[in-house]
Amino acid sequence: MTETRSGAAFPVHGVRYDASVEIRNFSIIAHVDHGKSTLADRILELTQSVAERNRRDQMLDTLDLERERGITIKASPVRVFYRARNGRTYMLNLIDTPGHVDFGYEVSRALRACEGVLLVVDASQGVEAQTIQNAYLAVENGLEVLPVINKIDLPNADADGAIADLEEVVGIPADHAVKVSAKTGENVEAVLEAIVEHLPPPRGDAEAPLRALIFDAVYDSYQGVIPFLRVLDGRIVPGDRIRVVSTGREFEVDRVGFFEPGFAVSEALGPGEVGWLTASIKDIADTQIGDTVTLADNPTDRPEPGFKPAQPVVFSGLYPTDSEDYPRLREALEKLSLNDAAFTFEPETSEALGFGFRCGFLGLLHADIVQARLEREYDLGLIATAPAVVYEVTTTDGVTELIQNPSALPDPDRIASIREPYVRLGIYVPEEYVGNVMGLVQEKRGEMKDMLYHGKRVELRYEVPFGEILYDFHDRLKSLTRGYASMDYDFLEHREGALVKVDVLVNEERVDALSVIAHRDRAYEVGRRIVDRMAQVIPRQMFAVPIQAAVGGKILARATVRAFRKDVTAKCYGGDITRKKKLLEKQKKGKARMKQLGTVEVPQEAFLAVLGSEE
Amino acid sequence: MAPSLYLHVPFCPHVCPYCDFHKMRRDERLVARYLDRLEQEIDEQAARYPGRPATVYFGGGTPSHLSDAELARVVGALERAFGFPGTVETTLEADPLTFDPERLARFRDLGFDRLSIGLQSTQDPVLRFLGRAHDGRAAMQALDWALASGMRVNADVITAVAGQDAERDLRTVASSGVGHMSVYSLTVEAGTPFALRGVVVDREREADDFELAAPVLAEYGLERYEVSNFARPGDESRHNQSTWRGEPYLGLGPSASSHLPDGVAGAGAFGTRLRNPPIRRWLEGAPPESEALDAEGVVVERLLTGLRTREGVDLDRLRELTGRTPEAMAPAWWRDALRHRLLEVEGPRLRATADGLARLDALLRTFVQAL
Ligand SMILES: Nc1nc2c(ncn2[C@@H]2O[C@H](COP(=O)(O)OP(=O)(O)OP(=O)(O)O)[C@@H](O)[C@H]2O)c(=O)[nH]1
Ligand code: SF4
Ligand SMILES: [Mg+2]
Repeated sequence: MTETRSGAAFPVHGVRYDASVEIRNFSIIAHVDHGKSTLADRILELTQSVAERNRRDQMLDTLDLERERGITIKASPVRVFYRARNGRTYMLNLIDTPGHVDFGYEVSRALRACEGVLLVVDASQGVEAQTIQNAYLAVENGLEVLPVINKIDLPNADADGAIADLEEVVGIPADHAVKVSAKTGENVEAVLEAIVEHLPPPRGDAEAPLRALIFDAVYDSYQGVIPFLRVLDGRIVPGDRIRVVSTGREFEVDRVGFFEPGFAVSEALGPGEVGWLTASIKDIADTQIGDTVTLADNPTDRPEPGFKPAQPVVFSGLYPTDSEDYPRLREALEKLSLNDAAFTFEPETSEALGFGFRCGFLGLLHADIVQARLEREYDLGLIATAPAVVYEVTTTDGVTELIQNPSALPDPDRIASIREPYVRLGIYVPEEYVGNVMGLVQEKRGEMKDMLYHGKRVELRYEVPFGEILYDFHDRLKSLTRGYASMDYDFLEHREGALVKVDVLVNEERVDALSVIAHRDRAYEVGRRIVDRMAQVIPRQMFAVPIQAAVGGKILARATVRAFRKDVTAKCYGGDITRKKKLLEKQKKGKARMKQLGTVEVPQEAFLAVLGSEE
Repeated sequence: MAPSLYLHVPFCPHVCPYCDFHKMRRDERLVARYLDRLEQEIDEQAARYPGRPATVYFGGGTPSHLSDAELARVVGALERAFGFPGTVETTLEADPLTFDPERLARFRDLGFDRLSIGLQSTQDPVLRFLGRAHDGRAAMQALDWALASGMRVNADVITAVAGQDAERDLRTVASSGVGHMSVYSLTVEAGTPFALRGVVVDREREADDFELAAPVLAEYGLERYEVSNFARPGDESRHNQSTWRGEPYLGLGPSASSHLPDGVAGAGAFGTRLRNPPIRRWLEGAPPESEALDAEGVVVERLLTGLRTREGVDLDRLRELTGRTPEAMAPAWWRDALRHRLLEVEGPRLRATADGLARLDALLRTFVQAL
C-alpha cells in the first residue's frame, strides 16, 4: 500500500483542502478500446496530477494483467484538481471503467459513485454494442451524459457520423459533445470545461447522519479490508466509530483518504467525495460491496439500496494443481471476491481433479482473468475446466434441477427433458458484412428476429442458444467482419433442445472434468475438436495415450498422444543419484497448470480443448 | 562388509567442452596439496570404515593424468589404510593419450586390473567437435594396447553427435574384442561450454542411436546390462553394479559422493548420502553435504538406479528394507506401467522392458509425481 501523503491539512497543487471546494464525480464509459484510459491519462496530465517521470500510457491500468493485455479490467478511481477558466477550482473524482462486456458489473458499480459520465465514442468506429449498453446504464442511473467523440486524429474519423449515431441510435442529445484526440491531447481541455459546466455537483448534507456507499474494496494483508466509498451525506474522520449497516458490525476508523490513483491519506471525507477508509476490518464477511457505512452513534435511517447481484452466466471448475493448496485457494477466492464482486464460487469435487470450486463468471474473459489473478496475486497453480452454461433438466420423476457442471447431468434414461439457455443477441455491423454474419449465426442455430437499419449500419437481432456463441463465436464474428461487428446479448429463457453429454476418456478412463454438453447433431464435431486439440496440447508421455470422445458408451472420435521415443538420462552413477533425485522433486513442484490424471500429465490447455477455434 | 571405494582425481590434460564433472587442468601446487589432503582423508575414513573393499574405482577427471609416483603414493596410502587392491575389481579411468604398453604394465603392478578408456569416438571430426585431443588412430591404438595388457577393459563411446556415423563407431570399437562398452548419448549439461554455445542434440538422432546400440553390440557378444553399459557376460563393472544395487560405497577426494549404511555419520534410519565439497573447500577440510534417507527416498533411489539395470529391483528385499512397495505407493502408475509393458515382474524382480528403459525418466517422473 502506497501512502504518498499524510498529515492534516495538506497542499494539493497549491490548493488547501477545503470543504467548500466544488466537486464533480464522473465515470468514463465506452465500448472496449474507444480510448477511455487514454483520455484519463490526458486529464491527469492537464491537471498536473502525476509527476512527469511517473507518466506512462494508460496510467490507471495498474494491474499487470491490464498492462499485458492492453485492456482495463478494474474500474479505477482517481482524484484530480482542476482550475477552470472561471477561476474556480474543482475537485474531480473520476473513475476509468472497463469497456469489455464481461466487466459490465464494474461499470454499474462505478456509476453509483457518480453524478455524470463521459461517454467516449471512437470516431473511426462509431457507436458499438457496449456504447449503447453503457449509455443506457448511465441513463437508468439518472446520470448526466457528456458525449466525447475521440480519435479525431485518425484519417477515417467521422465525428459527425458518430454524433448522429448517438442521437439516433442511443437517443442521447449530443449538441455539447466534445471532439477530441485523447492520443494527441487535442481539445481535451474542452472536456474539463464541459465537465465543470454540464455535469451536476453532488448533493449531500454534511450535517446529516453519515451515509457512505461501499462500491468496491481490496484486501490488504496489513490493513485488512479497505472499502472504497462514495460519501453521500455526513463526514468521516479517523477515530469515528462506524457501523456497516447490513451486518451491524462496528469498527473504529484508522485512516481515510482518496486515490491519486494510489492510496493517499486525507483528514476527512465529506459529502460527495470518493475515497477509502481503513478500520482493521480483518474478516471479509464483515462488509459487502453495496453496503452502507454509517456512524454507530448517529446512524442513518436511509441506507442506500445495495447492488443487484451480478448474475454469472458461465461456470467452470477451479482446482489447485497441488491438492494441498485447497485451503489457500478458498482464502484467495474470498479475498479476490472483495475486489471482483462479479464472480461466485462454491465447493465441488471431481473424481479426476479432487477438491475445488465451481465458479460463476460473467463471460469467458472474466473467467480467464479471475484464474490469472488468483495465480499471480495469490501464487497458486490452478487448473480450470471448460466454461459451460447452465442447463435445466427435468428428470423422469418430475424434478427439475439446474446443471452448472456437465458431468452432473443425470443418465439419459433418467432425463425427461433438457433445456438450454437462449440469449437475445444483438449484432451491430456495417451493411456489407450482413451476409457473413447471417451465415455464422445460422450455423450456431440462431433464429433471426429483426433487422434494423441505422444509416449504413445494421442491427441484427437473434435468438440463439447461449452455449453456441460462448467459445469462438466472437473471434469468428470479428474476423468475418474485419473487426467492424460488435455484439451484446442478454438472457432470454431456457428452451428444450436435443442435447447430449459428450464424455472424454483419457487413457481409457472417463474424466468427469472434461465432459461437455452439446447438441446431438454437433456432438461428433465437438468430440472431434476436443480429442484433436487435446492430442495436440498434451506433451508426449511414457506410453501412447488414447484420447476418446464418447456419447453414452459409444466412441465418436479418437486421437493419440504419442509416447517419447527416448527419455532417459545417459549417465547415472553413484555421484549422480542425489542430483537426479533433486531434479525429480523439482519437476514435481514445477508442475503449475499441469494435472496428473492417473499417470498422464495433462496441461491446462487440454481442459479447455472445447474452446479451441474450429479453423 | 566394508564399503567399496570411489576415489576422485579432478585433473585432466585438457578440459572438454561437454563435460560437467568436477575437473580442472593440472597445477603442480594444487596437485601436491590434493595429495596431502587425500592422504589425510584416507586415514580419517579408514578409521571409521576399516576393512578391505571389494571394489575400488579411480574416477575423474582423468586419474591416469597423475604421474606414476603420484599414483603410487595414493595406492600406498590406500594399502596402508584399507588394504589395496579391491578383492574383486580395481578400476582406473584413463585417457587414450596418457599411456603406452610400459605404463599399462606399471598400472598392473600397482594393482589395477581394469582400465576404463575415454575413447569417445573413432571418427576425427567427431573427436574434434567433442574437443578431444586424440584422433581416431590414437584411440584404437590405446584400445589395442589396453587389450594386450591383460587388464579388463572398458571403452566409452559418445553417440548422437551431429555428423557421426554411430553404428560405425560402435562396430569399430566392439570388433576390437573389448569386453565392456559404455555408450552415452551426448548430453548438453547446463553451464558447460556446449550449453553456452547453444549446442543442441537432435532428439531423433539420439533415439536412433540409442535403439541401434543394443542390437549392434549384441552381435559382438556385448549385452546391455544397464541403460548405457554393455558387457560380455561376466565382464560387467562390479563396482558400478554394486552402487546400482544400492550397496554402500565410500567416496574420497573433492566432490566425491558416498552412500553409507545406517548407524554411521549421524545417519537417518535408511542410511545417508554424502557429497564432498569441490576442491578449494575440500582442501580446507570443509565437511560434506549430507542427506539422510527415508523409506520413500530409498524406494525412489532403488527405482532410479535399479530399473536402469538388467537385473532390475528386488521387490522383496525392498519391502523388507523399507516396508513399502511401488505398487502400494502409486497404484495407478503401477497398473499403467505394467499394462503398457514398460515394466515387468518376474518372481521378486521388477524390471524395465526395452520400451520402459528408453522412457525411464518419464516413468520415474510420473512415479514421483504420484507420491
Ligand atoms: N489514434 C488514436 N488512438 C487512440 C486515441 N485514444 C486512444 N487511442 C488508442 O486506442 C487504443 C485503446 O485505448 P485505451 O485508452 O486503452 O482504450 P479503453 O477504452 O480504455 O479500452 P478498455 O479499457 O479495454 O475498454 C490504444 O492503442 C490507444 O493508444 C486517439 O485519440 N487517437
Ligand atoms: S577428460 Fe573426461 S573428465 Fe576430463 S574434461 Fe574431458 S570428459 Fe571431462
Ligand atoms: Mg481502459
